[in-house]
Amino acid sequence: MADGSEALGKKSNVMLRQLSDVRVDVHYVADLLFKNITRFFAFLVLLLLAGIIVSLFIGSLPAISKFGFSFIINAAWNPVTEEFGGLVPILGTVVTSAIALLIAVPVSFGIALFLTEMCPQWLKRPLGTAIELLAGIPSIIYGMWGLFVFAPLFRDHAEPWINAYLGALPLIGVLFHGPPMGIGMLTAGLILSIMVIPFIASVMRDVFEVVPVLLKESAYGLGATTWEVVRNIVLPYTKVGVVGGIMLGLGRALGETMAVTFVIGNAHELHASLLMPGNSIASTLANEFTEAVGKMYTSALIELGLFLFLITFIVLALAKLLLIRLSRLEGKGS
Amino acid sequence: MATEPFSMQREDMKTNSPNPKILVRNLDFYYGETQALKDISIEIPEYHVTAFIGPSGCGKSTLLRTFNQIYKLYPNQRATGQIVLDGVDILQNMNDLNKLRARVGMVFQQPTPFPMSIYDNIAFGVRLYENLKTLEMHERVEWALHKAALWDEVKDILHRSGNSLSGGQQQRLCIARAIAVKPEVLLLDEPASALDPISTSRIENLVTELKKDYTIVIVTHNMQQAARISDYTAYMYLGELVEFAGTELIFTRPAKKETEDYITGKFG
Amino acid sequence: MVSLPARRRLINFLSQIGSVITVGFGLFWLGWILLTLFRQGIPGLNLNVFTQMTPPPGSQGGLLNAIVGSFFMVMLSTLIGTPIGILAGTYMAEYGQTGWLSPVTRFINDILLSAPSIVIGLFVYESYVVHAGHFSGLAGSFALGLLVIPVVVRTTENMLKLVPNRFREAAAALGTPQWKVITRVTLRASRAGIITGILLAVARISGETAPLLFTSLNNQFWTSNINQPMANLPVTIFEYAMSPYRDWHELAWAGALLITLGVLGLNIVARTFFKQRRHGN
Repeated sequence: MADGSEALGKKSNVMLRQLSDVRVDVHYVADLLFKNITRFFAFLVLLLLAGIIVSLFIGSLPAISKFGFSFIINAAWNPVTEEFGGLVPILGTVVTSAIALLIAVPVSFGIALFLTEMCPQWLKRPLGTAIELLAGIPSIIYGMWGLFVFAPLFRDHAEPWINAYLGALPLIGVLFHGPPMGIGMLTAGLILSIMVIPFIASVMRDVFEVVPVLLKESAYGLGATTWEVVRNIVLPYTKVGVVGGIMLGLGRALGETMAVTFVIGNAHELHASLLMPGNSIASTLANEFTEAVGKMYTSALIELGLFLFLITFIVLALAKLLLIRLSRLEGKGS
Repeated sequence: MATEPFSMQREDMKTNSPNPKILVRNLDFYYGETQALKDISIEIPEYHVTAFIGPSGCGKSTLLRTFNQIYKLYPNQRATGQIVLDGVDILQNMNDLNKLRARVGMVFQQPTPFPMSIYDNIAFGVRLYENLKTLEMHERVEWALHKAALWDEVKDILHRSGNSLSGGQQQRLCIARAIAVKPEVLLLDEPASALDPISTSRIENLVTELKKDYTIVIVTHNMQQAARISDYTAYMYLGELVEFAGTELIFTRPAKKETEDYITGKFG
Repeated sequence: MVSLPARRRLINFLSQIGSVITVGFGLFWLGWILLTLFRQGIPGLNLNVFTQMTPPPGSQGGLLNAIVGSFFMVMLSTLIGTPIGILAGTYMAEYGQTGWLSPVTRFINDILLSAPSIVIGLFVYESYVVHAGHFSGLAGSFALGLLVIPVVVRTTENMLKLVPNRFREAAAALGTPQWKVITRVTLRASRAGIITGILLAVARISGETAPLLFTSLNNQFWTSNINQPMANLPVTIFEYAMSPYRDWHELAWAGALLITLGVLGLNIVARTFFKQRRHGN
């Protein structure tokens, strides 16, 4: 056996050299092909972004050329006279998102804090998983619950109270003064906040978990309380990531359609009061786009979409830059 | 351990064996700006086991990895000088990297079974360059596994994933995989460092067996291992080749004091 | 042991109480929503839902065409988006160590990941529907496909980067050409993680309504022609819920429950599948 395989070995070595020349060329071509195909698709992602911006821009050109800058400050929305101004939806988008974050950020912070510092070990995984699963619930569910369950209760029990007490306050009272309808800007903001909580909470938890255990332990070892460790060690270490996470949540809230459309009221009217109905860019698009007749109407709507995309893009880009900085700092710190 | 039929000239650090398989001349190696190998010149004899020893960071793995140009996977690593394999300077010959690697095989420190069956693991490399019929492939796989002393343990489970084997078996699988393509040179980078003593001794026996058909270069941080299985040993320190001679000579009468210090454990 | 001054203890205690309150607050609302979903949805879930078509108001019916339409569009969009995502992610992980394309694409991809899905629908409308002249299930699949791509790109890149370099080296050391190293070793080793990513992408698009509003629209009837508006669950739910008809509301809740169960189910399957495969190795 040994001698035979020796001969076999030497013989096939010669064949190896002859065969492999052809194979090498085939491999070279295949390598080039594969690299360029994958490169093309990576490029496609960039093209996609460019394509979105370009096509939205082209679609809004008629409206841009007609209304120009006044589009941002005009509250009128008249399909008949074809006078369109984006103030109401833009403001509505910003205000509902602001309300949502005002509530969601502290709550998410508390949840993330609980999950990382105070949660008993047996609860950590299930609770963490529950939060992640909740972040995956389709937003239309929130909208429906808002419309059918929350709004009537809010109208009957909360809004009269708000109107009476908060509405009577000097200065900010005007924000809370209005007939109880259940739906409106405030309701939309509240529903949005509930929707965004699981998302921001899991991002914050991920950010908090990055803090080296050793760092925290040395603080605890000095006799610091949980709160002091969080305030003096965890937060400064992660503040960039926390801000990044908040901005990611903001990006989500700005673009949200379904949670808001059901309860915002769909009214193109500018009111000071949050209890009154309003509109967001997403809800305007959802409600009116398919019925928009006329080039100008459609173009104005597309311009709204362009605005939404650009605002969201800027917020998300800033968030990403902050998060990149966080990972760089981490790298230096360890 | 090898006995020496030839006279050794310790002074010029070259061996006088009949066939140098790999000839290295004035090799410098850089990781980015850092120089890791300084003016290395060495001849690796054919059909013998050559060991590279030295403390961590001395450059022994780096030197090994120039022989199959595996460092070319990383853009900031480069080599200058000459590495001649069978009369061809592989540092100048840019094109046939893959072909070179089919002739110079490598086994790594940690076992790296591919995510496929044991059979496919072995057949993988063979299929790259040879067109074997099914029966011939079976024979080749069996032959490789026999050579790696693994056949008896896996002959009934060839379809199972390579991952299902123990650490020592996985490493022998990697050796079988490297042998199956019938390379001329086998580079072993600390092949037994991640394994238990029994697996280690199995692999050492393997190496002694394999040198009949292959030129073997082995990097090891275990001096006793080098003493046990190699015919020639090179001692390296801080990127330089300090001494290269027959193993018995290196370990009993080293020419340089640095070598002696390392071998006797004065530092390490 | 020195005892903590009362003030510090108090602050700590309050912060802990606050933290627990927030958890309770969050879980309260989310729990209520889920409870409502089940309470309203389950009564509406009967065999009709799965066997009959969407009805005009006032008549009996089901959600069959919507369920099938959604299923079909989700499948198609996954088929469209997954290969693109895997190939792009492969470039970024395997060839992207040098050059500008990889970091820039990663940046842009993460932004697209969280981009408003209604704008994606708008984009597909402007670039495809307008030119084709009609709404269609195909347009809806394009829109959903555009949502799949960023998820798969990110997952593929992350999973590939997890494969230790020594596997690439081991394959290269045999003389394997790079494309084979990537396809037969690296991608294969990340298979489980990438599949998980695809499942999560599917879960995400299954619940999306906004991108379908101007692309596939909705269809009260059955259609097997992807060049026509196609019935789908999310938009049907939207229409029905916003309507004033009680029986439509019932169907909307039933549909909402179906979608949620599907999404949650996919998420759970994805997580357990991945964990199993990791431990299996």
